[in-house]
Amino acid sequence: MTQKTPKWILFFQYVSLGFIWLLVLGIIVWIINLMKLSNYLHDAQNATIVISLIIIPIFITLAGVLSYVFFGLKRANREEITK
Amino acid sequence: MTDIRQETDYTLFRPILETEKSFYWIVATLLGIIFWAGYMYINQIIYGLGVTGLNNTVSWGFYIINFVFFIGISHAGTLISAILRLSQAEWRRPITRMAEVITAIVLLIGAVHPILDLGRPDRILNVFLFGRLQSPLLWDVTAITTYFTASTIYLYVPLIPDIALLRDKTDKYKWFYQFLSWGYIGTEKQKHILERAMTILMVMVIPIAVSVHTVISFIFSMTIQPGWHSTIFGPYFVVGAIFSGTATLLVVMIAFRKMYHFENYLKEIHFQYLGLLLLIFAILWGYFTFSEFVTGFYGNEPMEMSVILYKFTGPYAVFFWLMVVLNFIIPVVVLGFKRLKTIKGILFTSMGVIVGMWLERLIIVVPSLSNPRLPYDVHFYIPSLTEVSLFMGGIAVFCLGFIIFSKLFPLISIWEIEEGRNEGLEEAQKRLESYLPSVEQVK
Amino acid sequence: MPRWGMVIDLNKCTGCSSCVTACRMENNIPNVGVEEAQNGRAMNWMEIITEYEGEFPNIRITHIPRPCFQCDDAPCVVVCPVHATFINEDGLVGQIYNRCIGCRYCMNACPYTAKCFNYSTPEIPEAFVPLQNPEVTKRMVGVVEKCSFCHHRLAMAKDLARYEDREMAEDEYQAACVESCPTTAMTFGDLDNPDHEVHHLKHSNRAFRLEEGLGTEPKVYYLKKEDK
Repeated sequence: MTQKTPKWILFFQYVSLGFIWLLVLGIIVWIINLMKLSNYLHDAQNATIVISLIIIPIFITLAGVLSYVFFGLKRANREEITK
Repeated sequence: MTDIRQETDYTLFRPILETEKSFYWIVATLLGIIFWAGYMYINQIIYGLGVTGLNNTVSWGFYIINFVFFIGISHAGTLISAILRLSQAEWRRPITRMAEVITAIVLLIGAVHPILDLGRPDRILNVFLFGRLQSPLLWDVTAITTYFTASTIYLYVPLIPDIALLRDKTDKYKWFYQFLSWGYIGTEKQKHILERAMTILMVMVIPIAVSVHTVISFIFSMTIQPGWHSTIFGPYFVVGAIFSGTATLLVVMIAFRKMYHFENYLKEIHFQYLGLLLLIFAILWGYFTFSEFVTGFYGNEPMEMSVILYKFTGPYAVFFWLMVVLNFIIPVVVLGFKRLKTIKGILFTSMGVIVGMWLERLIIVVPSLSNPRLPYDVHFYIPSLTEVSLFMGGIAVFCLGFIIFSKLFPLISIWEIEEGRNEGLEEAQKRLESYLPSVEQVK
Repeated sequence: MPRWGMVIDLNKCTGCSSCVTACRMENNIPNVGVEEAQNGRAMNWMEIITEYEGEFPNIRITHIPRPCFQCDDAPCVVVCPVHATFINEDGLVGQIYNRCIGCRYCMNACPYTAKCFNYSTPEIPEAFVPLQNPEVTKRMVGVVEKCSFCHHRLAMAKDLARYEDREMAEDEYQAACVESCPTTAMTFGDLDNPDHEVHHLKHSNRAFRLEEGLGTEPKVYYLKKEDK
């Protein structure tokens, strides 16, 4: 039952994990763009800063939890096979 | 490989392994509805929003109503599942998965609705390039994106052990399950990792879910329009959302119980408990509705009053009183008496609540717009075929998504049921003992 | 900086709608057709609201011409998700038609319902095509539009003054509706200029603004109709 995952599936697993970080990166870039814009237009800078302070850590935590699960499961799997 | 038919929980595997003929008919019908809705939407793109029934005073209609309605339903899932898991309610085990799937699918449908409502959907990128975080619509974009990401992860992480089971015990789509199982083989360490991740997610998901619907109510309450500008809207919308969500969860549970023969898993007791939750929310909803209208009515501010009278005695009186009956009177009567609280009774009530909550969204959105502050000629809003078709399309996408999910993954969490059998019983006994005063000290 | 505003004397207004017509010609406002107008989609930047008081034989009619009030604290501006409606450098509420995504949030947030939406591709009757104003942008389907206080005229007046190297005089800028009013019910000018007529009129004891209590600070004043 503890067969090894084929290389190509492993590759796509890494790619799919990359997507969640791409999303986080996209959100951060987007929010920073909006912050720059609001600063340029002198338009509700405070609201922008408060919202970005909430949003960015939440997304980083979410992606972090997912990565923690991924690498945790992989490491435990490797330990089990090499045992 | 041992024969999967010998498994204790074979009933839960069966929808994935065996497909009846009626399944293809259902899928074909749903696809037909979806294609029709798609055709209508393409029509709308070509001819502009003129194909809808909107006009210059009532410029928000079905799309925004459905947006609020669908996002409301999505609160069933993740929120209920997280609260039940956190409070270690043992009866949650067969319910959590379905609740989470509702969230993920309906949230996606709801999130599309503001785009359907746009006059220029081709310029949607402007929201990302030139967005202003001051606008409540942008709060929605961020909150819904966050909630969707969180609830999808929260659906996926507890799904991993089941995916591993499917990978090991079936031959179907082996590479697919291998890809998704992330090398889970069920060691102690792996279980511990999943549990820890789930705890973090549960704690995160609850405030996110509450914030999403509060922010949706802010779209209305941040304006200064009579009937919308109200401080109660945030909690009112959240309560309404959980209310309609619980009703949808009950309907879905009853439907799939019948379809896939889950009678042994979804027992009478689960419906009784969820019915109790529905009753509590019906009363809460009644309380909020009462406070919302009694303050406006007593204050007697002319603009506010014109909206309230429009709802109580005007053209919207039918919808208003129907909503009160469906959302308050029927649930309290049916769920309050033991003799009426059968599965059939609960199904009837839940469907009524879903319709009633849709009417509530209608009553919030349209009458405020139909009563402008200045004396204009107001045209009664009647939805066009396009709007109705797109609503049907949304419901069809929900059904289709759910059915396809049920063909790929188990609708009832197999590992949680197993865990309940193997460890839960003992643990619950220990926990109960820890609640009680110890015998020595009493003596 | 001048604070452009308008004072409308309701005693003098006869409800003749010449301001509405002048506005339509000046700003290339599309004709939606009879059927669409009956569906409540008629587009007018300047609209005449008629208020009736009393029972049939003794009716008192008040005509209230309603442009966009160019509020100082505009409720439509704060809710726009894409900065398509904004307070421009002259203190007027501007619309960027090319950026508007058509969500119609500003229409719903406006307490005066002063905005209108292009429900279908705008059409101008063929006879009117040669009369179109080249200074005003043509709108496209799916965007919100509203009265701009003929902002293009202000821009032109400013340009001309800069070209001739002098300060712009106040009476060089007039909105089309004000110019066309046959009974001189409307007066246009800088509300903050103590020498200008609008300043006196806005401090008259007949002066009021619509829904003043909302705190939107509209820049259009009305002079109350008095019984004679």
